[in-house]
Amino acid sequence: MKNSFDEKILEEAHDWVKANQKVVLATVIQTWGSSPRQVGSRMIVNEKGDFSGSVSGGCVESAVVRECIGLIKDNKPCKKIEFKVSNESAWEVGLACGGEIAVYLEQVN
Amino acid sequence: MKLQTLKSIIEKKKNKSEFAIITNLTTGESEIFEKNKQLSKEMETYSSQIEEFFKSKKNGVIENTEIFVETYVLPIKVIVVGAVHIAQYLVDFAKSLNFEISIIDPRGYFASEQRFPDMKIINKWPDEAFKEIETNENTALVALTHDPKIDDPALQHALKKKFYYIGALGSKKTHENRCQRLKEAGFSDEQINLIHGPIGIKLGGRSAPEIALSIIAQLVSKTYNKK
Repeated sequence: MKNSFDEKILEEAHDWVKANQKVVLATVIQTWGSSPRQVGSRMIVNEKGDFSGSVSGGCVESAVVRECIGLIKDNKPCKKIEFKVSNESAWEVGLACGGEIAVYLEQVN
Repeated sequence: MKLQTLKSIIEKKKNKSEFAIITNLTTGESEIFEKNKQLSKEMETYSSQIEEFFKSKKNGVIENTEIFVETYVLPIKVIVVGAVHIAQYLVDFAKSLNFEISIIDPRGYFASEQRFPDMKIINKWPDEAFKEIETNENTALVALTHDPKIDDPALQHALKKKFYYIGALGSKKTHENRCQRLKEAGFSDEQINLIHGPIGIKLGGRSAPEIALSIIAQLVSKTYNKK
């Protein structure tokens, strides 16, 4: 059995939409190696960059927020992004845990 | 995702139904899959793989495709006997977990709406209350009154119905007496040993929220051990 949790993220997304915000769902769709969150984990982002939920342990959320804002600006329906192991010496976004994840972004419309 | 799909998902979660969301990652189109529901022509091609994800309650991308399947499983029914102080914290902790709590307490002054807003409370004796709730191997029981008159019938019901988790509050001494009573009622040692008593993992705390936390921790751990 999986999912003894229910984070109610979609319910929150609906509340945001009702408040006339543009909302992007970001969902972990694939993982390789050790990754902090399992497939199906989700965060939501609005046009201002407010976000709720998570797709990692805080490693890539900032990049996901940027990508989501970009999706809204460009008015694109969806996009897939992948994150790999971070290079510790560089100021870049990545997963310190050594895993890889694919995150799917989709606008609620 | 279409707003309409989002709304249906929330509605289905509320109505406690089991379903999956199938998303074409290339086009962004998504649809809801349910047992005995006809899939769209496009998704029909992958119906056997989708069924497989649905049956094993897994999320993932179907191999060599751009189709993502996300399954929604039913919340686990947790019956709490005793609308006591600890139960109020249990309800709080369970909010962020996929547990659906029902509280049974024949004592009206405990089982009040004011103490448990928006909760399903059955103000009856356990034998009567269980007629209103469907229970099976996927149900859990948390007995909190440590009053044999109330806890014992519930424990007997849970043992007979083979609940996957049964816990009972009370000291070691209380639990010994409880085991003795159940033995006299005809339950085997093997059955009685399935009861977690004293309930909860050893955290060390003795306050109501701490006991509730130790119970929830045990419940989650046993939920993952379950088949």
